[in-house]
Parts: sequence; structure tokens; C-alpha cells
Amino acid sequence: MSTPQLVEHFFRREYGRLVATLCRRVGEQHIEAVEDAVQSALMAALESWTVSGPPDNPSAWLFRVAYNDVAGTLRQGSRRRRLLEQYGGDAVDSGDSGPVPFLANEVQDDLLRMLFVCCDEAVAERSQLVLALKTLCGFDVREIAFRLFLSEANVYKLLTRARNRLRKSPPRTEGPSEAEFSSRIPAVHKILYVLFTEGYLSSRQEAAIRRELCDEAMRLATILAEHPMGQTPETFALLALMHLHSARMDARQHGSGGLVLLEEQNRDLWDREEIQVGLEWLARSAQGDAFSRYHAEAAIAAEHCLAPSFQETRWENVVNYYSLLERMAPSPMHMVNRAVAVAEWKGPAAGLAVFDGFEPPDWLADSYMWAAVLADLHGRCGNVELAKRYQKLAWKTAPTPAVKQLLEHRLQTSRQTITR
Amino acid sequence: MPKYLCMQRSLPGGDTHKPSPAEMQEMYSQFRAWQQKFQENLVDMGGKLGAGRLVTEPAADGPFVEVKELVGGYMIVSAQNLDEAITVARGCPGLVRRGSGVEVIEIRTS
Repeated sequence: MSTPQLVEHFFRREYGRLVATLCRRVGEQHIEAVEDAVQSALMAALESWTVSGPPDNPSAWLFRVAYNDVAGTLRQGSRRRRLLEQYGGDAVDSGDSGPVPFLANEVQDDLLRMLFVCCDEAVAERSQLVLALKTLCGFDVREIAFRLFLSEANVYKLLTRARNRLRKSPPRTEGPSEAEFSSRIPAVHKILYVLFTEGYLSSRQEAAIRRELCDEAMRLATILAEHPMGQTPETFALLALMHLHSARMDARQHGSGGLVLLEEQNRDLWDREEIQVGLEWLARSAQGDAFSRYHAEAAIAAEHCLAPSFQETRWENVVNYYSLLERMAPSPMHMVNRAVAVAEWKGPAAGLAVFDGFEPPDWLADSYMWAAVLADLHGRCGNVELAKRYQKLAWKTAPTPAVKQLLEHRLQTSRQTITR
Repeated sequence: MPKYLCMQRSLPGGDTHKPSPAEMQEMYSQFRAWQQKFQENLVDMGGKLGAGRLVTEPAADGPFVEVKELVGGYMIVSAQNLDEAITVARGCPGLVRRGSGVEVIEIRTS
């Protein structure tokens, strides 16, 4: 006897699916009862399936067990009984027929609905993100803490705040109204973007774990793009930028786990198929008047993906997109990026000139990025003393060994001799 | 080949951490690998044990809570000897871990 293999991430995916579906049926104010029931159902599955093999339809099995559990819990207590009589025709359908089977597209709708539930504007962004990771992606508190570099106590606190808000949701099962849906779309985009960048930009974790967060963000964004309500130019631009970044993910990392500079990346390692998919989303995003920060970022990523080599990059376009980005989403980080692109386009002196009259805020001035960029630009301009000073600062503030290594490599091979 | 009864017992100070979905998947895969490795030895995967009552004459007070609390499940393996049976049981994910042990007893039929 041998138990068949389950598909990759089966338990995590089922967790998200079941929480979303059950929340729609009984209302997200019962999120805790729902999560407990789903956890128990998965445990029951683990115990039963390892002994007698999984049933023909594992998803339906899990749904039935979790559903009965949560319906049983909600039947207890008079207050809840009253609520259920009022709203829960579906929720406590205790007839012999049992819960109605669900359809694939209904599941997608449930996941999407839950994503919008998570993006409640009354909840802080960090709480929204943690709630989404917990309910939709099926990570537990320890796993979320590990991935977001937070303490477990912190994650727990963020989660509690989000859940408290859900508990106060009106007792209904429809979830956010259509008006709420459209008003929450920007928050949904933001959360998916943050989820993706947490995975993509982190230099503090092994590749497989970072990739996981990116994959989750792309999975949810794809569900959003498949729904009529989510089919906005911003959604498409967001997907474009995710795919275009994801295409270069493997090349960003060398065998020993360190990061590889863009100009030294082996462009043959870039995933052509992913680039193609990204460009298709980018084309779809070019409709209507909307030009969002996601459009600008996707366009920059596309410029890099399309450039045959670092030298042949159309830096002028990159610079222009960074200027647009700065206007749409003002951040000194975008300015720093623009300066780097300007330096490639017009030379290091022009790059430095971008900072004329600019006072970096403390968080930036103290960051290794700021120091490294200045060390590089000054070095290339021949300002040896300044370059050395920033180099030391960059070293001191580098957050991880991987970044330190990258800096060492970058600043030592700095193209000081190149005059442009 | 002799058969052995393996009974899982919970010990004081057990692990109270609930496994996450990803950890459950990992446990499932480990279990599967273990099952394949010891395919020949696994006679009866047994099951979980629920509440029970000790039947004696004269009737004793029950139910015997400790029976339910201490023994979680059983299975039957075949092995050349006790040591081999122990090896099979020890390899089973989730059977032997912190706060849980397994008692391996030979089943004599002759």
C-alpha cells in the first residue's frame, strides 16, 4: 500500500481556498472559527489519508469536514443561533444533502473576495499583508514572521488587529459591496505589490523562500486579472512588472547565493518566456488614460529585459520613466535610481548633478544604498576622497553579508578609469 | 515473520505547536517516503484509538481516561525481530517525537 503524492503546496492552497469559501458562507466575522475548523480539517486529513490514502476528491473531503466543524461551532450559543436563523440559511444547511459542491470559478471568486476583505482601509497596511499571508496563502505566524523579518509577537499583534476589525463586520455573508470593491482596488494592488517586493528585493533570505512570496503575489494577481472587477490597466501593469522582474530572478543570484549586479548578469539566464508573458500584460495595460506607478515600474523592467546588453540599455527611457515615477509616487529612492540611470546615460557627473540641492532624509542618508551610489558616482568622477568616505559608510551600513560582498565587488571594480 | 504491535503513547511535556499547512505537507511527504521504504513490513496501518473502558469482573469504575489519553493509535508491522520492528516504528514521521513515544510489542501466535 502506498499513499499517492499530493500536488505541491496542496495543504497551503487548500487552507486559503477553504478559509475564503467558508468565510463567504458564514461571514468573515467568524474568521477565527473558520480558521480553527480549517486547521482541524487539515490535521484530520493528514491522519486519515496517511493511513488509508486520500479520497477520490480530497478537496471535497476537506470542505465537508471543515464545513461541518464550523457549522457545528456556530450552532452553539443562543446569540449565534439567532444570527444564523437570520442570515445563515446557507451557513447551517443541515439538510441531508449536505453542503453544495463548489465550482472552480466560484473558488476563484471566493479567494478574490477574501483578498478584498483583507484590504480593509480601517486596517493598517502591514496588518492587511499579514492577514492575507495567513488566510489566503496559508502561512502560520512563525512562517510569516520569518518571511517578513518581524518577531512572532509582532505578527500576532498585527493579525489580532486585523481580526478584531473583521469580527466587527456586519453579520452578513456577501462581504464587501460593489462600491467597496472598487474603492479597495488600489489597496489590493498595493498589497500584492508589497508581497511581491518583499520576496523580490529581500537580500536576507535564500532564493527558494523569496521566490515563494513572489509566486503567491503572482497567483493572487492573476486571479484578480481574471475577474471582470479586477480587469483594470493597473492590474495588468502590476502583472507585467511581476513577470518582467521574475524573468530575471535566477540570474540575479549566483551559485553561492550572493547577488549579481545587473551589468554582470548573464542575460542568457533570463527567462524568455516570462519576459514574453510580461510584455503581453504590459501591452494589455496600455489602455485608457491611466498611467500608474505600476506602469512606470513595468516599463523600466521592460527596458532592462529588452536591452541586448547593459551598455545598449535605452537609459534615456529609463530616466524618463523614473521621472514619471517620482511624480506619481514621490520617494527619494526613485530619485536615487534616476541618478544611477542618468549616470549611465550622460555620465557620472550628470548623475551626481541630480542630487544638487537635495538633502537626503535620515533613513536614506544612513542607508547603504545612498552611500554605495555616491561612492560609485564620486569614484567614477575621480573624487577619490569622497568616494573613499562613502565606501566606508556603505560597508558599515550593509545589512547582510550578501550585500557586503556585492558592494565590495562593485566598488573595487568601480569604473574609475572610465571617462565618459 | 513475527508480527509486532506498535502503540503510540503520549508522554508528558508534549509538543503543543500546531503544524502549519506547509509543515503538514512535509509530514505527509515524509510519511509517504517511510511507507515506501518499509512497504514489506507494514501489515496493518491500524488507526487512531478513541475512548475506551476496561471490562473487568466485577465491573470497575470507568471510563478509564488514561487509556484514551495515553495511547493515540496503533499499527501492526512484521519484522525479523524486535530490533527491526523498532527501526520501522522509529522511522515513522510523527510517531516518535518530543512528547510522544511508541511501544513495540511482539504478537505471539504460537
